Amino acid sequence: MENKSLSFVDQLAVSGDVVLNLSTMANQTIKLGGGLRQDCDAISVMKAGKLRFSKPNKYWVESSQKRYVPHAEDSVLGIVVDTKTDNFLIDIKGPALAFLPVLAFEGGTRRNIPKFEAGTLLYARVVKANPGMNPELSCTDASGKAAEYGPLKDGYSFECTTGLSRMLLSSLTCPVLDALGKKLSFEIAVGLNGRVWVNGASPSTVIIVANAIMNSESLSGVQQRIMVEKLLQKIQ
Amino acid sequence: MEIDRIDGRTPNQLRPLACSQNILNRAHGSASWSQGETKVLAAVYGPKAGTKKNENPEKACIEVIWKQKTGQIGKLEKEYEMILKRTLQSICILTINPNTTTSVIVQVVNDDGALLPCAINASCAALVDAGIALKHLAVAVCCCLAETGYVILDPTKLEEQVKGEPMEHGIITSVTHGAMPVDDYLHCLERGRSASEKMSAFLRRSLQPKLPSDLSKAA
Repeated sequence: MENKSLSFVDQLAVSGDVVLNLSTMANQTIKLGGGLRQDCDAISVMKAGKLRFSKPNKYWVESSQKRYVPHAEDSVLGIVVDTKTDNFLIDIKGPALAFLPVLAFEGGTRRNIPKFEAGTLLYARVVKANPGMNPELSCTDASGKAAEYGPLKDGYSFECTTGLSRMLLSSLTCPVLDALGKKLSFEIAVGLNGRVWVNGASPSTVIIVANAIMNSESLSGVQQRIMVEKLLQKIQ
Repeated sequence: MEIDRIDGRTPNQLRPLACSQNILNRAHGSASWSQGETKVLAAVYGPKAGTKKNENPEKACIEVIWKQKTGQIGKLEKEYEMILKRTLQSICILTINPNTTTSVIVQVVNDDGALLPCAINASCAALVDAGIALKHLAVAVCCCLAETGYVILDPTKLEEQVKGEPMEHGIITSVTHGAMPVDDYLHCLERGRSASEKMSAFLRRSLQPKLPSDLSKAA
């Protein structure tokens, strides 16, 4: 039974594939992440992607899309759509608008509610993402400190796929950001929902960084470094 | 009992298939599917918040817009929209994102027979590209009953007109035009099923996502 599930791990799985059979695995607790669902005794795939397994018992499907599926504890870049008495309505590229309570800021009280116009870009953390409900955001970390969350001023924001934003935020230093950081100085904020914000001293820096990131979607680490070198050579 | 088809295919032979994904910049998912000369482009937007007035808010809603190549929108296009909507509703998991709408827009680029199956295949590929949760994939095949009672697969427009009675078939949806004896209908179903297997394999291969190679391996 272990051999069967191993053969699916790290392979492309398409909607409808049954990847695990629970009737052969008794007394085991398995955690299912995104992209998988349970149908009586069979675990089947909902979204096409690579099946991943992490010890001791977590399975999930990794895929890259233009839209975002909200999960708790993700850092996202949202755009303010509307203001209500208790919440800001934020668009995070998900199936529903997210709510940001007006008091969810460091030192937030009823007297100093921030005033955001429609179109303001915010860096926020997803607190709750329950199915069927609007996700809830917060501009503080778990202990109540601001921790870089909040509105982002100036700069340039663009959209990318969720897979690219995960790669930019991966724990290993991302090759494209590494190569750019050695020659240029810029500020960057990456949202797991497929939005990236870049700020730099001059517009040309910002444009180079944005183009390099957008081009690095399907390139390997070495190819990314080569691409960045070529881009930087063109301006010098 | 060999039948001569105009383009020289055997009765069970499908036309060359081609599928490409993620071709439209702004759509959340898109795919183009062509069978021989028939080509259809499908674009998916969503899921977006809100449902239409008469739809159940406890389920996700799928909206299909059919755009034909030329001419005004008529009853045939509305019928295609309805068939496509019912088919897609049966493959999507509607309970995951309640109170949302997913729009599927189908644009006919060229019509040379077997249009509705081509559209179903294109829409399914576009839904997978957009990351909509599906119970399983769907493929569609067109079977045509010739005058002599022989079944041919994937007819061209010329074959559809001359021989009459095209019939698409999916395990989910079966659409028939014209009258035929029950035995012939079951015969068509069998042929259609075996052809669906070939199309399924093709769809799987063309859905290989373009993932960047693992950073851990490169470094």
